Amino acid sequence: MLITNDEEQLRERLVFTESMIPERIRADPEIVENGLAKLVLSIIELIRRLLEKQALRRMDGGNLTEEEIERLGNALMKLEDKMAEMKRVFGFADEELNLKLGPVRMWE
Amino acid sequence: MKRVVIGAHLRREDIEPLADAIRVGEIFLSGVMVADDQPLSDRDLLLRVARTRAALLDRGTFIAIRYGLAVTNEHDAASKCAAHLSRWRALLDAHSNEVEVTLKIAVASPQKRPDRHDFKLGADYLRALYAARDAATVDERFRAAAEHALSEATRRRWLHRDEASLELAALVPRDRLEACFAAAADLKARFPHIPFLFSGPWPLEVFADADHE
Amino acid sequence: MADQIEELALLETLDHLLDRGVVIAGEAVISIGDVDLLYLGLNIVLANVDAIIRTSQK
Repeated sequence: MLITNDEEQLRERLVFTESMIPERIRADPEIVENGLAKLVLSIIELIRRLLEKQALRRMDGGNLTEEEIERLGNALMKLEDKMAEMKRVFGFADEELNLKLGPVRMWE
Repeated sequence: MKRVVIGAHLRREDIEPLADAIRVGEIFLSGVMVADDQPLSDRDLLLRVARTRAALLDRGTFIAIRYGLAVTNEHDAASKCAAHLSRWRALLDAHSNEVEVTLKIAVASPQKRPDRHDFKLGADYLRALYAARDAATVDERFRAAAEHALSEATRRRWLHRDEASLELAALVPRDRLEACFAAAADLKARFPHIPFLFSGPWPLEVFADADHE
Repeated sequence: MADQIEELALLETLDHLLDRGVVIAGEAVISIGDVDLLYLGLNIVLANVDAIIRTSQK
């Protein structure tokens, strides 16, 4: 049961977890051959976002040491750098990694 | 064959025949049987588990276990859950007549995400990300009205979701659920321009989470 | 409009299923340095990657 307000805006502004997980990936050989690099990058980007979310949840807990915070922050920065580099190398723009599989879109 | 675990329940009767009951210590886990090579992200499976979850909630309140745990037998289940059993038992005894409801709210001005290139130190970057997420706030009047709408709740907790939204989670007695929905409908009438999503009932999720104790 | 609400209901249901609940240790742990970050859903994502790779090798 649910009650929603301003559905238009709601749909646009709320991010739901489900949209971060690709729908069952159809094993279409064509998609796989041509899109493998893009698919892998999209999944790695997804993982980066999930890690960031987890790191923020750990901050919520309030019991990370200064050193752990530095290490986590550093790792997140490095991941972002790596993703930027891979996007450059493979020639993908940010929008291209917003993978669309059926009616479910990966969160951008 | 393996079982995808749904939740922890006080009694076997709360589970069967909707799902399989797996005994762990003094309580029971509910599980849905799947093939060993079944990918857990399969959409049909997700929907099937979601439906089973809702049906189980009708039977009785349970502790939600994060989707993705699969067990092969009682021994496997027991060893994975050993550390949680007494806490779960206590929670189930304390809240057996309650369900969760949640109110997700989109904030008016989402915070801008910090730019990684503005930072040298990892700690500064992570703190900036954290601050941006925490800075998301809703109109004070709406916030007060939302808390009032959930005044029937035995417990309430505000959660930060991301830079663009907040959430208010609450535990309410089952027989007050309808009153909560009526209150949410009121909220919608009074604040037509604040996008929110009020939903329930849910099993113990936010209030079963050890991180927040 | 009804479609939109239906979609939101589905998203909300899956959001609760996938992003809530007690995380059981030992499912999928990613570490950054010495800090353990628990993420249960990672095995779901990895299972997909695996399936793709296996398919592409046929």
